[in-house]
Amino acid sequence: MDKNEALQIQPRPGQPEKQAGPGAWYLLSRGDIDRLVRSLSVAYEVVGARMKDGRYTLDRISDPAELELEFPPRVHSPKKFLFPNWEKLFRFRLGGKVMLEAEKAAVPRVIFGMHPCDLHAVQVLDDCLFEGEADSTYQAKRQATVLIGVDCEPDAFCFCTSLGTDKIDSGFDLFLHRSNDGYLARVGSARGLRLLRRYLPEIREVDNPQLPPAGKSCQRSIRFPMESLAPVLGEVYDHAIWQEIGERCLGCGSCNLLCPTCYCFNVQDRLDLNLQGGERVRTWDSCQFDQFTRVSGGSDFRPDQTDRQRHRFFRKYKYLWEKHQRTACVGCGRCARECLAGIDNTEVLNSLFAEQVAAEQSPSPGLEYQPQMAELLSVDSLTGREKLFRLRLPEPVSFRPGAFMQVSVFGVGEAPLTIASAPDADGHEIELVVRSKGSLTRALHRLKAGDAIGVRGPFGNGFPVEEFVGRDVLLVAGGIGLVTLRSLLLTILARRGEFGRVMLLYGSHSIDQALFRDDLKRWHLGDQLDCRFAVQHFGSQWGVTGGDITHLFRDLDIVPARAVAAVSGPAVMYRNVNPLLFGLGFTTETIYLNLERHMKCGLGKCGRCQINDITVCQCGPIFPYSQVQHLREAIER
Amino acid sequence: MKPKVGFFDFTGCEGCQLTVLNLERELLDLVELMEIVEFREISSDQGEALDIAFVEGSICSSAEIRRLKAIRARSRQLFALGACADTTGINALCTDRTSEQLVGEVYGTAVGHLRYRHPRPLEAFVKVDGRVPGCPIDGREFLAILQSLLIDRMPELPTYAVCAECKLLELPCTFERGVVCLGPLTRAGCDAHCIAEGDRCRGCRGQVDAPRSGPYYRILEEHGLSEEDILNELRIFNLSGEKRG
Ligand SMILES: Cc1cc2nc3c(=O)[nH]c(=O)nc-3n(C[C@H](O)[C@H](O)[C@H](O)COP(=O)(O)OP(=O)(O)OC[C@H]3O[C@@H](n4cnc5c(N)ncnc54)[C@H](O)[C@@H]3O)c2cc1C
Ligand code: SF4
Ligand code: SF4
Ligand code: SF4
Ligand code: SF4
Ligand code: FES
Repeated sequence: MDKNEALQIQPRPGQPEKQAGPGAWYLLSRGDIDRLVRSLSVAYEVVGARMKDGRYTLDRISDPAELELEFPPRVHSPKKFLFPNWEKLFRFRLGGKVMLEAEKAAVPRVIFGMHPCDLHAVQVLDDCLFEGEADSTYQAKRQATVLIGVDCEPDAFCFCTSLGTDKIDSGFDLFLHRSNDGYLARVGSARGLRLLRRYLPEIREVDNPQLPPAGKSCQRSIRFPMESLAPVLGEVYDHAIWQEIGERCLGCGSCNLLCPTCYCFNVQDRLDLNLQGGERVRTWDSCQFDQFTRVSGGSDFRPDQTDRQRHRFFRKYKYLWEKHQRTACVGCGRCARECLAGIDNTEVLNSLFAEQVAAEQSPSPGLEYQPQMAELLSVDSLTGREKLFRLRLPEPVSFRPGAFMQVSVFGVGEAPLTIASAPDADGHEIELVVRSKGSLTRALHRLKAGDAIGVRGPFGNGFPVEEFVGRDVLLVAGGIGLVTLRSLLLTILARRGEFGRVMLLYGSHSIDQALFRDDLKRWHLGDQLDCRFAVQHFGSQWGVTGGDITHLFRDLDIVPARAVAAVSGPAVMYRNVNPLLFGLGFTTETIYLNLERHMKCGLGKCGRCQINDITVCQCGPIFPYSQVQHLREAIER
Repeated sequence: MKPKVGFFDFTGCEGCQLTVLNLERELLDLVELMEIVEFREISSDQGEALDIAFVEGSICSSAEIRRLKAIRARSRQLFALGACADTTGINALCTDRTSEQLVGEVYGTAVGHLRYRHPRPLEAFVKVDGRVPGCPIDGREFLAILQSLLIDRMPELPTYAVCAECKLLELPCTFERGVVCLGPLTRAGCDAHCIAEGDRCRGCRGQVDAPRSGPYYRILEEHGLSEEDILNELRIFNLSGEKRG
């Protein structure tokens, strides 16, 4: 062991390091390496990758044949030798005077098999632990340890190529590159050169090393320059993503314990059995653990996984970057590889970045026509023809009752469908009622819970609910027109006390085809709603009048002066019902109509829904009568 | 004056006391530093004042409640020794039947005098100052706790879960071979004993103070477990209903 060799803190990548020894190349065979291991074993503890219980691990190598130089990234990091989990800081004696016993000198050790990312990680540890007053326990180990690098093949979790840690030019004593005829050893330090010359005096130097073409490719990546990491994080301290991953995180700490750059530690006294003395030890800790930030009295300024995960990311990619211009992540993938909850740094970072870019860029062409994907939460049959869909939208929506969505099934097309549920504070879930008519609606009927459908919207102008407050409300629905009024009705029922009488006149072909019968009946019996049915095919059920909906107007006990009417149904219904409403005393200002038109864009562009000079998709589909009365094309005329 | 230490036994398999007795050699060093006054199941309510009482087993009858209260009354500190005392342990498995059914099944119906109640942890009846978790307890941990008490330091149990120890030992996670493990909820301290032995954690040490049940159940559901399966997993050691709802 070269006792007097001072540790040379390695220059940052990019700074050229040209000295006599370092930079030289030698050709070694596997046999040479075995001999090197054997010779080194006399003075050093030799550590390297070997198989143990079916997995690779970095461990003591007693037989050179066990040493693996090509091994997958899934091994615990060499941190366990340079900054071990259990490290004695000093010994003490109990009782009387406390006596300090110095920590023994670090074991001279050679680590064969430092992957490039792990060598970079050592530089992060150097940055942090030599800063200010150098951590001498680490320094002792660092000086006593010879680092020999080897190349690697990224697996599905590695993303070193995004952080520039897939290659390394310095920070090792030797680096072994696999080549066609053995290994090309690159010398990284005077110590490395001395070891080669001492133990393998006969090997030859190579002037023009023929390295196999470098160039790794990783499946995972950070899809933006690493210099942007800190600024990107700077804007997302309060982002919902921390809660999202916080709610998935088990707080198990594996991500920290396995990370080659995490070094936070705990300090504890361990007593000798006879209680005469003991030692003060440091053990690895994790910012994901419960006691990590707790102070006496129990308060904790980083009390849950939301705060703790944010801290982990900020420390890795922002705080330490700003201090040392090096991320405290080397892309080794260990955290995501071992995380039971599947929390993945690249995914989190990429989504934060994508969101910021999207917010800055003007929307790409055609974006207004691109549906977003919604998830079907449930599908229930209402009648033989209609099904009720509940869906979860990717973005929350707010709308007035009467608004509609453009719903897509790719390959079949897109169609407008009224939102059948009431607007709510959360805005993530809506309901639709779909009547099977043609190809698209049939395709919708074939879907089941868990399937995804495309949605755009909401579009359109709905009922001005606030203007109905304090008044009686007369709802007149024909057939599937009830769907539009259901949104209004649910809105009113949720704030029932703010409205006067609420009456629903509902006409359908037969009682079997009537929608939401049970709900309506319940509300009717609960006195929340006065509900009257008319069916053309008369049955003997409760409160049902035979014939069409106009029969329900005969003895209508409503005071039009303090009421509004909302009408939704087929065109023919408007022709018959509107005169009756006027006859009762409703005015063009107190009657609201739902006009259905053929719609393609929902944006006021395609012209399909145009009635004379207005587009229904934007000005409607809910109109006060006064607004359409002059329109010759409005259907009820 | 040397601290006086007593060991007491209620309903349980006595495996934990056996673990303590097996520590013979290590205890030799410590025995000098304390006075072990009782190490038997004694039925007397009387006795001298104790500094530390280690109590093993669950409480299953009114007589046991009385005895436990008497021990509490004369002990400065009372520690639950092992899962049965701490969380009811596997004894809680029987709570799916009534106590009459149980007495009937075990002793036949004729035994009228048996006043049996469902087993409950010490904490249901007396204040417990601390615990030595596990089924059975971990000898090294017991020693560390005893040491702390002897120098008047409050022993600390790990607040993190078994996963941490499992990872440090570089053991393959059982979930990788599709086997459910209770490690993520269970208090560390056993050095992931069962996983190291090729099994999975069944939670014998009880849950950490703030178990992340939500994220954990989600993972179990992702692995295809139903709510009933999840409850069955927990039932072995962690559904006494007394301590953690
Ligand atoms: C504002 C609005 C809200 C609607 N809300 C609902 C609802 O909540 N539930 C429901 O089941 N249906 C609703 N519809 C009707 C629904 O859009 C059509 O039934 C659907 O487009 C039919 O498509 P398809 O491919 O299944 O049938 P197709 O065979 O294509 O057509 C069947 C019938 O629907 C008409 N239609 C087709 N495409 C459109 C279109 N883009 N816009 C309007 N009509 C069209 C056709 O002219 C034809 O009469 C609404 C329509 C509008 C305009
Ligand atoms: S490994 Fe995953 S679950 Fe465990 S603390 Fe880290 S992020 Fe949370
Ligand atoms: S944060 Fe994850 S990927 Fe980055 S160095 Fe640590 S373990 Fe490796
Ligand atoms: S085997 Fe169990 S204790 Fe170990 S990491 Fe997996 S879940 Fe955690
Ligand atoms: S691994 Fe789990 S079941 Fe096994 S001893 Fe540890 S806590 Fe108990
Ligand atoms: S749907 Fe295109 S203009 Fe109204």
